[in-house]
Amino acid sequence: MGTGPTLAVWKFSSCDGCQLSLLDCEDELLAVAGRVRIAYFLEATRATAGGPYDVSLVEGSVTTPHDVERIHQIRDQSKLLVAIGACATAGGIQALRNFADVEQFRSVVYPSPEYLSTLDTSTPVSAHVEVDLELVGCPIDRRQLLETLGAILAGRRPDLPGHSVCFECKARGTPCLLVAGGVPCLGPVTRAGCGALCPAYGRGCFGCFGPAATLNPPALVARLTELGLSPREVTRVFRTFNAAAPAFAAAAAPEEAEV
Amino acid sequence: MTHRDRSLSVAGLARVEGEGAMHVRVRGGRVADVQLEIYEPPRFFEGFLRGRGHTEVPDITARICGICPVAYQLSACAAIEDACGVTVGGTVADLRRLLYCGEWIQSHALHIYLLHAPDFLGYDGAVEMARDHRWIVERGLAIKKVGNRLMEVIGGRAIHPINVRVGGLHRVPPASELRALIDPLRRALADAVSTVDWVAGFDFPQFEHDHELLALVQPGSYAIESGTPRTDRGLVFAVSDFERHIIEEQVPHSTALHARLAGRGRYLTGPLARYTLSRQWLSPVAREAADRAGLGEQCRNPFRSIVVRAVETVYAIEEALRLIAAYQPPAAPAVPVPARAAVGFGATEAPRGTLFHRYGLAADGTIATARIVPPTSQNQASIEDDLRRFVEGRLELSDHQLTHDCEQAIRNYDPCISCATHFLDLTMLREA
Amino acid sequence: MSVLLRSLGPLVERLRADGYRVMGPTVRDGAIVLAELDSADELPYGWETTTGPGRYRLHRRDDRAAFAHAAGPTSWRSFLHPAKRPLWTADRDLAVTEPQPQPQPRYAFLGVRACDLHAIAVTDRVLGKVDGEYARRRAALFIVAVACTEPGATCFCASAGQGPGLDGAGCDLAMTELADGASVRYVVEVRSAAGGAVLSAIPTEAADAWEVNSAREAVKLAAGRMGRSLPEVDLRELLAGALDHPRWDEVADRCLACANCTMACPTCFCTTVVDSTDLTGDHAERWLRWDSCFDLDYSYLHGGPVRVSTRSRYRQWLTHKLGTWHDQFRESGCVGCGRCITWCPVGIDITEEVAALAAGTQVEG
Ligand code: SF4
Ligand code: SF4
Ligand code: SF4
Ligand code: SF4
Repeated sequence: MGTGPTLAVWKFSSCDGCQLSLLDCEDELLAVAGRVRIAYFLEATRATAGGPYDVSLVEGSVTTPHDVERIHQIRDQSKLLVAIGACATAGGIQALRNFADVEQFRSVVYPSPEYLSTLDTSTPVSAHVEVDLELVGCPIDRRQLLETLGAILAGRRPDLPGHSVCFECKARGTPCLLVAGGVPCLGPVTRAGCGALCPAYGRGCFGCFGPAATLNPPALVARLTELGLSPREVTRVFRTFNAAAPAFAAAAAPEEAEV
Repeated sequence: MTHRDRSLSVAGLARVEGEGAMHVRVRGGRVADVQLEIYEPPRFFEGFLRGRGHTEVPDITARICGICPVAYQLSACAAIEDACGVTVGGTVADLRRLLYCGEWIQSHALHIYLLHAPDFLGYDGAVEMARDHRWIVERGLAIKKVGNRLMEVIGGRAIHPINVRVGGLHRVPPASELRALIDPLRRALADAVSTVDWVAGFDFPQFEHDHELLALVQPGSYAIESGTPRTDRGLVFAVSDFERHIIEEQVPHSTALHARLAGRGRYLTGPLARYTLSRQWLSPVAREAADRAGLGEQCRNPFRSIVVRAVETVYAIEEALRLIAAYQPPAAPAVPVPARAAVGFGATEAPRGTLFHRYGLAADGTIATARIVPPTSQNQASIEDDLRRFVEGRLELSDHQLTHDCEQAIRNYDPCISCATHFLDLTMLREA
Repeated sequence: MSVLLRSLGPLVERLRADGYRVMGPTVRDGAIVLAELDSADELPYGWETTTGPGRYRLHRRDDRAAFAHAAGPTSWRSFLHPAKRPLWTADRDLAVTEPQPQPQPRYAFLGVRACDLHAIAVTDRVLGKVDGEYARRRAALFIVAVACTEPGATCFCASAGQGPGLDGAGCDLAMTELADGASVRYVVEVRSAAGGAVLSAIPTEAADAWEVNSAREAVKLAAGRMGRSLPEVDLRELLAGALDHPRWDEVADRCLACANCTMACPTCFCTTVVDSTDLTGDHAERWLRWDSCFDLDYSYLHGGPVRVSTRSRYRQWLTHKLGTWHDQFRESGCVGCGRCITWCPVGIDITEEVAALAAGTQVEG
């Protein structure tokens, strides 16, 4: 194992996909393992070491009272805390509960809801503790993860652009679906990072990387409405994996955002 | 030290997908209590699927599990297409199966090399194992990479592919993109065959289960993306009757939903069940490898599931090569799926076992009801039963050894706790 | 002297045989894009486009014209000034390697319109002397230009400067397409020695007076059918005096700041420099990548971005393109291709914005 900084990977409410991105770096995994000391990464090894940790990657959102305690403990133990994925940076798909009555959800899924102890909300890590870096996406992009690890190891700033998916879409040479096909696309308000994947596959971006650094959702909503989306459909397109990201939450329900 | 009263506990199970714990309590030389606890908080998927549009379901349910998103996408598509009375056939169906092969390859390679093999060879994880056996780990990663590559070409990306839609796909790949995978797949096939031979040589504890085995069966091929539920004891039923035969109930000691076969009891789904029920449909190379590994007509030792996974990896690679060789891009990537008020059912074989979905649609396609039964919740009762019998036969072992063996026994089933968390929650403390 | 080509097949074959990568329009993913052509058969014969602000559609046409479409989502700059390229790499021993002046791809552009020909000339003045790689690609370039006979609704090359004809513009061959029914012919003029050499190596016919005339007429008609125009005022002066115009706030409400306009524009040249290191820590790279004045980070100076609001970023784009470009390069940065209008997802129209600013001044004045 490496002699470099210690790395810990933590999981909160999530699908495991973002930490799997690390194991999906087939070509680099052993190189990473050679440069850092993996101190805590349950999905990969049963060997665990106590803190403090130089770098903590945190996947998942905070959804239980115990999670709240745990994220504070992790923060206390970590020099650098990196939130990875839409769950950790925006609450994830499970944050849809923030817009509904959790009691109702509970009884739909569980015959005996009284056994469950769950917060009414799913919140990002940054709602509880200070976060040093955020990698967005549902899931995160493997190249961005490697770029970030490389940057941390080299002590430089990672290259994580805040601009829209449209930048990458044009650079990739994909004809704009919204213009050429009237296809609803969230690319203009979504943060780049995926390489403008969906338009290249003939479907509009559905915003899995969350809001761009600067964005104008009302202008896009006006356009989506012209394309025939009903208010209910507009709400739906903004309420997916980054539903609780403030800019998307506001776009989904302008009336509520005023309050 | 007395071995007659003791409790073994692993607060955070390693090398499983998601987070769970294990507790075994021994009292008076008997196993009093065994719990596979899955303490991940629930995410309420069924709850928030209600009110969504029928075309949104595949992308949403994918997020139940980052390891087997295609299983969720395709079970969801199957159920919704069923509700709408649409069949997706021909080359588009082949492409979906090909995508699913990619998921099997990467998921199985992940489990064999990174999660399970370290148990047999005495390492804490694959990174530690790589210090002594670097090329073996690299071989596993190479197989895994090909699976991911296949998913990337067809699905756009390996985790939560973006190309699956109700009615088909968004885009069909040009033949050249698939042909570029032939050479890597051929190399992976050789590696996968070597993998079978490698894992067949591990030391397996003497242990057999007697669970009823349930899997989809699709005469003519090894069932992946469709099939009819069937058990090794002769039960056969339509996918639409799944809930009549499989009862999920919450058990008091945790908040688990445990599944059992109505009137029959616990059962097992996953590679062991598939192998037993579909062995005859394996491809020639996969069957040969299975024979060489001494798997026989059926495999009832859960520790040997690693061999079955390796055989299935061989199959998935061969199947991918076959599908690519026959590939001609279809005229359209999808068929229209107009909504109607109906209930639809879908089941596919996720790497970990049968994954069932049911949706009730309103006339405009709005989801009125949703029900998802993932493999891990079906297997949980059997896993606990295995643990109980396994521990009982080994009470003379030290806590350390027994705990290790129990962990390994759990990993036999590759439990996917992220999938399972739509049914479990238990508050417990663990080390930071 | 004009000659007649009854097919572009031999021309494409000749260029490929001469070692050129032939780039030209072809139908892909619902649009006519610029891509490498293996043969002239891949040209968009029988397709046309209708364009409008934020709107672009492909249609079949009655004849087999290959150049009856308006500008697509990308321009030739993708090849001369690609979206990303390496500047240098370095290893731990501090041996810095600049990429060897690579054998540059020798491009032949087939079907360059007047606006885009003009755009290449504009870019030459921006990058030609300062960017070695651009200069090398440019020097090796062979251009087959085509006059526009079917301007689109968002085109305004006539009022932006040159076009739709090809008089005086730098290219190797200049052609006009004559399509009627199933037959399509090209009246071709030689504009350079290289052009003459290529043309003399393929079978041609003499163009008769009627054909030469029809070609000239078609172009002249096109000039009168421009979908849009710029106000006939001194734009440099207008914009310099309009920095506080309320119109900027109004357009900022509609603008997505998504950068599609700058990415589609054939003359936008802004880049950013990105450094990366790999996981071993032994290897570093520096890349040049397209950027845009709509990127918040683009105006990042010490302490933060200078142009935080969309208003300031849109204003930067428009005033640079039509105003301060004159101060920098003694001409306008806009050639009137209409891409920024068509490919803006919300259809913001540069001509309309300038017209509003101009109207405002007139009111004030
Ligand atoms: S962000 Fe998406 S991919 Fe990542 S853990 Fe959450 S649900 Fe999974
Ligand atoms: S397709 Fe979407 S992401 Fe691409 S340019 Fe158009 S609006 Fe932007
Ligand atoms: S295009 Fe949009 S939805 Fe698709 S992967 Fe990228 S960010 Fe996610
Ligand atoms: S500003 Fe617009 S019309 Fe002018 S050259 Fe650029 S894209 Fe074309």
